[in-house]
Amino acid sequence: MSSEEEVFNELKNAFGEKLLDHKVQKRRVFIQVSNDVYKDVVKFLVNSKGIYHLEMMTGTELKDGIEVMAHMGLDTSISIRTTVSKDEPKLPSICDVTVGAEFYEREIHDLLGVTFEGHPNPVRFVLSSEWPENVHPLRKSYVTKHNAPLREGVE
Amino acid sequence: MSTFDIPIGPQHPALPEPLLLKLEVEGEAVVGVNFDVSYMHRGIEKLLETRSYFQGLPLIERICGICNAAHGVCYTLNVEKLYDKEIPKRAQYLRLIVEELSRIHSHLLWLGIAAYEIGFNTMFMYTWRDREHVMDMLESITGNRITTEYSQIGGVRRDIPPELASRLLKVMDVIEERTKYYIRVALTDRVIAKRTQGVGYLSTADAKSTCSVGPIVRASSVKFDVRASDPYVAHDEVPFNVITSDSCDVFGRVVVRAKELLECVNMIRYAVQHLPEGPFRIKLPMKPNAGEALTRVEAPRGELLHYTLSDGTPKPYRYKVRTPTLANLGALRVMLTSKGRYVVNIGDIPIIYGALDPCICCTARVNFVDVKKGKSWIWSLDEIREMSRRGGLLK
Repeated sequence: MSSEEEVFNELKNAFGEKLLDHKVQKRRVFIQVSNDVYKDVVKFLVNSKGIYHLEMMTGTELKDGIEVMAHMGLDTSISIRTTVSKDEPKLPSICDVTVGAEFYEREIHDLLGVTFEGHPNPVRFVLSSEWPENVHPLRKSYVTKHNAPLREGVE
Repeated sequence: MSTFDIPIGPQHPALPEPLLLKLEVEGEAVVGVNFDVSYMHRGIEKLLETRSYFQGLPLIERICGICNAAHGVCYTLNVEKLYDKEIPKRAQYLRLIVEELSRIHSHLLWLGIAAYEIGFNTMFMYTWRDREHVMDMLESITGNRITTEYSQIGGVRRDIPPELASRLLKVMDVIEERTKYYIRVALTDRVIAKRTQGVGYLSTADAKSTCSVGPIVRASSVKFDVRASDPYVAHDEVPFNVITSDSCDVFGRVVVRAKELLECVNMIRYAVQHLPEGPFRIKLPMKPNAGEALTRVEAPRGELLHYTLSDGTPKPYRYKVRTPTLANLGALRVMLTSKGRYVVNIGDIPIIYGALDPCICCTARVNFVDVKKGKSWIWSLDEIREMSRRGGLLK
């Protein structure tokens, strides 16, 4: 299997300037790509490089957008990250590339409100049916209210 | 022939975890399945953002009662990466010993449940009795049977003194002898063969394309074990084999887990006999560096992932957990659907579901959990009405 730098160089040859940034740790590569090639990079890894295993997908709210990361890999873990805007969080679904993405994308939609276009079954996954629409608990604007002590002292 | 929908769960006598299976059946054969795991979202990822790294440890151990050692190891390794510190060798070996002990107890527990699902109650009693030896050892080493919290940020909580180590080796002898017996039973018993061979078929291609993990893929002859491909605590020094099976069914999953028990025993023996000298814990400051870390650990049920993003404060900016059962839900859907000559009968559902070793409580990868298994089912009032309206569907 390829080492960390080899993986990055192969992607660099295939996608050139669309790879915005990268970071290498031991057996880990984090690669920032632009929105329009995000799906193509995943497709390239699965179809051309044989890295079929999608480990997980992470969604994170950053200051200037919502970051979606797809972690792929068997021995070296390659994380493909891209940032979508908070006003209109949309990204193409990668379910037709790898079936394993279905539950991860539904989870990110529930918790952060990112819409995955072309998802085969975009219904609720982790939030219960009583949870209000358009409230996404992993957004930083959602503040948990139960950190206060359960009971006030006797007055 | 028209199809009929049967809901199983979320409340069910067989397993205390809330998963709703919506099955589409055609006669006796299951032709489609859907899940609802939304009953147990606990919001642990969100809660971790409100706690310091040190306060998060007790919470992370409570994601799952059975794989708590794996979660603890994964969390502490992940946070230590942010500090850019390697923990002492002795602590790595001690973590490996407790992690493998908890793998033995998890696999023995699973063997018992699987035997129970196919009506082999004697084996259920045997395996759970032997599991008690391991639980006693876990209690002696860590101070607790279940939520052990043995891994701490910077090392482990206690050392293993020499007298405890020799007791551990004796227990390993007992487990090895019993495991050899279980492997013989699994390979020769007609009840097990009849109930598991050809049941819950998952081809190698499906196992890969659904991105499943752990004993499920290894029973479909995919050699994927994080301990081998991405060694995290002294796995590059302690020798072991990755067990696979090419039968692609429940039988293969029984054999893989039973043989893995022997590997665990050998790893623990090697680790105890080659335990390096030195400290078992180092002190680390409250604030890690800003940065990110991704850690993979082979939990008893498969690959477990933790990801953290730190902004340099004592609390994580984002913490993400992916547990093995979530990764295996796609494979469960394939296993529960009839394909060609592999017909899934309603009576096969319990053992197929059980063979996943589901843990909905931790499945909620990040923060929630769900689970269920079906032994019998309950029709809701609406279902019964619908049935009576259509009439004669049960002929």
